[in-house]
Parts: sequence; C-alpha cells; structure tokens
Amino acid sequence: MRRILGILLTLLIIMNISACSNSNDDTKAIAEETVESNNDIIIRLAGGDWGFPSPYLHYSRGPGGFKMYLLFDSLLEKDENGIIPWIASEWRIENEGKDYIFTLNDNILWHDGEKLTPEDIKFTFDYYKQHPPVWNSLNVNGKYIVKNVEIIDETNLKIVVDSANATYLERLGKARILPKHIWKDVKDPKKFHSEKAAIGCGPYRFVEYNREQGAYKFEAFENYWGPKQRVKAIEWVPVSDEILAFEKGEIDTVSPSPDIIGRYEKDKGYAIKTNKGFWGYRLIFNMEKRSELKNINLRKAFAYGIDREEMVDKVSRGAAIAASMGYISKEHIWYNDNIQKYSYEPEKAKKFLKGKSYSFEILTGNKGAEIKIAELIKMTLKDIGIEIKIKSVDMKTRDAAVKNKEFEIALIGHGGWGSDPDSLREIYGTDTQEDGSPSSNSLPGYYNEKIIELSQKQMKELDKDKRKEIIYRLQELIAEEVPQIPLYNTRSYFVFRPLKYDGWMYTYDHHYPEHCKLSYLVREK
Amino acid sequence: MSKNIFKISVGYVITFLFIITINFFIPRFMPGDPFTYLSSDESGMNVTYSDEEMQKYKEYYGLNKPLGIQFVNYIRNVLKGNLGYSIILNDEVSKIIISRITWTLGIVIISIIISCFFGTLLGAVSAYNRNGLIDKIIYSVFMIISEVPAFIIALIFLFYFAAYLDIFPLSGGFKPFVEYESSFENITDIIHHGVLPAVSLSFINIGNFYILSRNSMIDILQKDYIITANAKGLNKSRIILRHALRNAILPIVTRIFLSLGTAIGGAVLIENVFKYPGLGTLMREAVFFRDYPLIQGIFLIMAVMVIIMNLTADIVYKKLDPRLK
Repeated sequence: MRRILGILLTLLIIMNISACSNSNDDTKAIAEETVESNNDIIIRLAGGDWGFPSPYLHYSRGPGGFKMYLLFDSLLEKDENGIIPWIASEWRIENEGKDYIFTLNDNILWHDGEKLTPEDIKFTFDYYKQHPPVWNSLNVNGKYIVKNVEIIDETNLKIVVDSANATYLERLGKARILPKHIWKDVKDPKKFHSEKAAIGCGPYRFVEYNREQGAYKFEAFENYWGPKQRVKAIEWVPVSDEILAFEKGEIDTVSPSPDIIGRYEKDKGYAIKTNKGFWGYRLIFNMEKRSELKNINLRKAFAYGIDREEMVDKVSRGAAIAASMGYISKEHIWYNDNIQKYSYEPEKAKKFLKGKSYSFEILTGNKGAEIKIAELIKMTLKDIGIEIKIKSVDMKTRDAAVKNKEFEIALIGHGGWGSDPDSLREIYGTDTQEDGSPSSNSLPGYYNEKIIELSQKQMKELDKDKRKEIIYRLQELIAEEVPQIPLYNTRSYFVFRPLKYDGWMYTYDHHYPEHCKLSYLVREK
Repeated sequence: MSKNIFKISVGYVITFLFIITINFFIPRFMPGDPFTYLSSDESGMNVTYSDEEMQKYKEYYGLNKPLGIQFVNYIRNVLKGNLGYSIILNDEVSKIIISRITWTLGIVIISIIISCFFGTLLGAVSAYNRNGLIDKIIYSVFMIISEVPAFIIALIFLFYFAAYLDIFPLSGGFKPFVEYESSFENITDIIHHGVLPAVSLSFINIGNFYILSRNSMIDILQKDYIITANAKGLNKSRIILRHALRNAILPIVTRIFLSLGTAIGGAVLIENVFKYPGLGTLMREAVFFRDYPLIQGIFLIMAVMVIIMNLTADIVYKKLDPRLK
C-alpha cells in the first residue's frame, strides 16, 4: 500500500510541475498584456478570513489589522526611513516630553463625506481609553498613556501624556483615528458590525467582506486628502494553493519557498524582493526552573554549541540570516555590528562546560521548521555534552507553557524584530522581581541590574542620538550576557509581476510589502 | 409501545446532556486560552496582552467566573438557543455556524449520495460476479481507494482538474465580487465550485458502501428465491436490482445515516484543501485558537446532527424491515 501511495504522490508532483509549467506561459502572456494605466489596476492578493476591517473586529493575530490600516489613517505614518507626517502635517514635543502638539492637514474627509475635525482626534483618544482596540499602542505596562487631549484651534491640538517616553511619538502616531459622528453612540464596539464601522479617512474605502470565503474588496477613495492611490481596487480572494493561484494569474503576489524561487529568477515577467529579517526564532532559558542556566558559562556553551548557520541552510534553505546575539535584527536601523559574535565552535563550547554534562528539555511547537530546528540543536549539543529531549506540542499549548513558565528551554518564533528597540526593555529589561507579569515576554529567572537600568534609561531618553548610544550599549551587554539565544531571522521571498504593478515597498520596521500602506500610493520621487 | 418510545427518548436526552457537558469541559481543560499569543505565523502579527488587558477580556466574555457558574450559564443559554459569542470571530456563534453549515452539508450530502450510489451498485455487480475477473478488478480498485486518504485524492483533483485541465476553479465556494445576472447563473457557479470537494469527499465512504453492499449481496444471492429467479431465466440486471439489491439494501440504509459523522470529519480536511467556506475550516480555527464558545457551538451542532441521524436510522430501519416492529 505504501508503494501505491508513493506512486500516487509521484503522480501528484509530476502533475503539479506540469500544471505550473503549462500556466507559466500563460502568466508571461498575462504579464505582457497587462500594462494598464495605473487608474485601472486591480490588485488581487491571497485572501483568508482575518475579521471585519474595523479597529475592533479584525482578529488579534494575522494580517487583519493591516487591512484595517488601509481604511483608517493615523496622525503619523512610516516610510523606508522612519516616521513621516500624515494626518498631522507637523508636530513638536514640549514640557519635557509630556506635551505633543500636532498640526492637522486641512480638508480631510471621512469616507461618508463628513469632514475630519480635531474633535474626532480628541474623541478617538478618549474612546480608546474606555474601549481599547484590538491593536492597542496606547497602553504601556497596563496603563493608558494619554492623560488628556486639548483642542487648541481648528488645526492644532495638544495630547498630554503621563510621562516622558521615547516610544510615545510612534505610539500616539499610529493610533487609528475614528469618526466621532459614527462611534459616539456605540456602547460596545466589539458588537458594532455595521458597515459604518469600516468608515475611516484612509486611502481606500470598504466595499465588501465575505467571512466564509475570506474575501475582501477595497476601492480607492476618490476624495482622499493625501497621496494619490496607485491602484483602483484591492481584492483579497480565496486561495487553495498560492503558487498555483499566482501562476494562473488569480493573485498578483506570492511568497514562494526558497526551493522553487529559481522558477521566477530567470523570467523577466517576475520580480523578486527579499523580505527584511524581522521575523525570527529564539531559544528562551527558564532560569527559575533550571537554575544551572544562571551560569553564564553554560549559556555561552549553548551559544557556541548551536550551529545557527546550519539552521539557515537546512531549515530555511538559505532564506534567512543568523540572528544577532544582541537581539536587534541585523537589518534594523539601530543594529550594532560591534558586539560579541558567536559562531559554531564546539571546542570553545566544551571549554565553557568544563567537562560537565547536562540534560534539558526543549519545548517546541509542532510546525515542521520548529521540529527541524530542535533536532539540529539536539544533534549539535550532544557533541559538546548536553543531552536534549524534544517535546513538541501545538502552538497554543507551547505559548501557554511559556507564559506560565512551565518549560526548561522553549523555542518560539514571532515577528516584531524590526520594531522600536524598546523591545529590548520588554524582553530583557523587565524587573521580574517587581513586575512578574506572566504575559510579558520576559526571561524567567534572569536579572541584570545594568541591563534593566539602561533599558529604563533608553525609554526616557528623548534625544535620538543619545538614545541610539544607549541601545548600542545594551546590545553589547546583552550579547556578552546571552540571556537567551536568538537563532535566526527569516528573509522570505516576495514575487510579483512588475509589468502589472511595481509599487511594493518596505517600511523601516516591517518585513512584508503587502502590509505597507505606501505600497499602494503614489510616492514622491 | 409508548413505554418503548419513552425509553428511547430518555436514552437520547441522557446522550445529549452527556455531550453538552463534555462539550463544555474538554475545551477548557486543553492547555492555553484564547488570549495568550507569544508566537505568530510569518505572514502575520500577534498581540501580546498585558495581565490587565487579559483580565478585561476574560470579564467581557464571562471567563473570569468560576467554572461551575460558567457551566450553568452555558446550559441555560443552550436551552434558550443561545450558543454564545465567538471570542476570535467577534460574532454570534449561531450566526457564524448558520452561514457555514449549508456549505458543509451541501458537499457532505452530495458526497454520501455519490458514494452510496456507486458503492452499492458496484458492490452488487461485484457480488454477482463473485471471484470472477470483474469482481477482482473492482475489489482491488476499491481496496486502494479506501486506503488512500481523501485529502490526497483532493490534492490530485486540485492539481489535475483545476490547475492542469482548468475545468474547475482552484478554490472557494463561489466567485468573489461577482454580481450574477440570474439565480441560475448563481447556482451553476456554486455547483461548479462544489464538484471537486464533493467528489473528493465521496471517496471517504465509497469503500464502505461497496464492501457492505458486496457482502450483503453475497448473502442474499445464496437465498433460495434468487436461485429460483435464475432458474426462471430472468435477466441479470433484473435479478441484481429488483430481487437481490432490494433485500440487501437494509444495512446500506443504516450506513447512509451513520456515514454522516465520517463524512463531516472528512470535510474538515477536504474543505481546507479547496479553501471551501464550510464548517471544516472553522472547526480547525476554533480548536487551534481555543475559541471556547465556537468549539462548543460547532461540536454541539454536529453531535445533534449525528443523534438525529441515528434516530432516523432506527426509525427507517424499522419501517423497511417489518420483522423489527
């Protein structure tokens, strides 16, 4: 029976290849024919149900929030280099970092034709205090950061915050602004399912959403105040197999695995971008449960005893980079390259172990890549005298175990490696003796006063250059200490048809072009 | 007679109560909760809630109350027909299920009809030609089909009929963003999208129907009245269809109702292959993200459907076989 199954699978692969080859010619033809004027372009992307695109109804995980971002604008936006003006044309920070004064652009309209006023901004920040949206940037350490909003005049307003904090400009700037005339009477926004809940002042307006199919349609908002839209409409359609759908022309972008990227490299009909390494895996030590891990030499033995380049080659097939031991991604604008580096050196690792042997359990999720990583770790660590037992569970079980500190060593993969470097404070700089928040990403049992001090200091430092210095120093310290092991950051591929649409861009802090609002707008040269 | 009905009714009520109890407790005993996310997929983001935020959400969904009180509230709501509010999808569970169940039931029922019809017919042909070449060929083919997982068959169909031959769509239940000019056009599109999922799903049960029909027919074909029919010189199809199959059909009828559970289980995988908008994809998501009300709602509906099917099988079986009355 296995033989029969084998034959069937071979048949399947052959048909897959022939199906792809067949449609490849069609695709070229489509690409060549579709030199449309920008105004006529309809972009089709792989769909999937990520919730109704209102700030309260998109799902907390997945890309639902990015869809909502196309409908709703914020005071500030992000481009390749940093934060840029958006609804607010300019801003200044006063009163030692506690007052943020924003000047608003004129003639901004909501999708229903009403005019945006400073009242809407004030209402939004007041409303979010009572009703936190799904993606909530305005809570820090469980507290709402906005004390009050004062309208100065028709175009200026002041937002008073609870303390001076280097991350507040971005936090205030990315909150999505709500229309007061629609939301003022909504008592429970989680049950507000009207299409009015999708009315924003963003470049695209909501047209259709079908939850069962995971289909969405947005169209360019003709009275948009800002940069002109480059595409007439964006449609997210149901897709069973992304490669087949892409090659049949049903969708316009795809993220193929490194094994098949060769199909697109030599074909002029396609263009390939490499996504930024802002998604990655790390190995967390639970020093509360296994106090031996408090020994820095043991942690360094792990760092030298794990072959991270091998993981990049074998698990990610080259589409990744070994992560920096200072945690900040190597493609982050504030990455410090002058820190201690750890290549695979088993002899050095053995010296750190001083002849001792250990045994640990690694808790991992049940995805293929995670299990492969854990297996590679097990094999390399065995050579230096560390026995590893792998425990694989489903994602939610693993996350709950990490949250409840019920693990010895955990392997976890997540995004956000390109975000504000305050992430260093959230991971390394939480004083676990005072703030034992089990939901934070803290490292159980790890405590380093200097790291905590610098983490707190960078958060309060409003001078960009001085803050950068602190972040650089933090990366040095963290790399020396090895409180956890960042393994690698993925650099997956993004393939599209440039003749149909070539506006794809990356903001400085995010790894995927489809999620960036500016990818769909005309850019100033 | 009325005592008998009472007994059966009590049996079903106890089964129902047992199911809703299990339905409530099992999801809650699974590790994890709906609000803890520390990891994410590469294409997405995840939100890590603070303790305060998690507490707020738990209060909002009533998950901060003691388990006993939650259970009593759940029973009370179920009896009122309220299946709760989905934590992940932010909508009423009953509304979500209703919007999906027709898709799943559509392909499940069609698949059972296909598998029952072809399985039974070929089983009868096989039995009539027992140990002959036709029997051996059909038997071998069905043995292979029964062993190959239906989702592999679904993938083969997807690649061959949708991608290579381009005669069926690659995914979904209907063309998105299309305004149909007539209901006929709408129905045609839905059928066009449903063919591959339904046919793939039929492979889950077809082997069972074939074996059942073949065995049952072999029994019947040895009966005296079939020998008489043969002796009278009646033609083959008349003997198979009129005299033998009619009497061999009893276990097949029961199997039709009992195969519903297997087919719905299979639909979970098939729907995922074709991104078909049914309950299967939803069930996977609900369990994956620990959406307690949604898990409860889906499993409750499915359990009720299976109970109803069992009951129907009991009734129909008794109607068809007067000896059981």
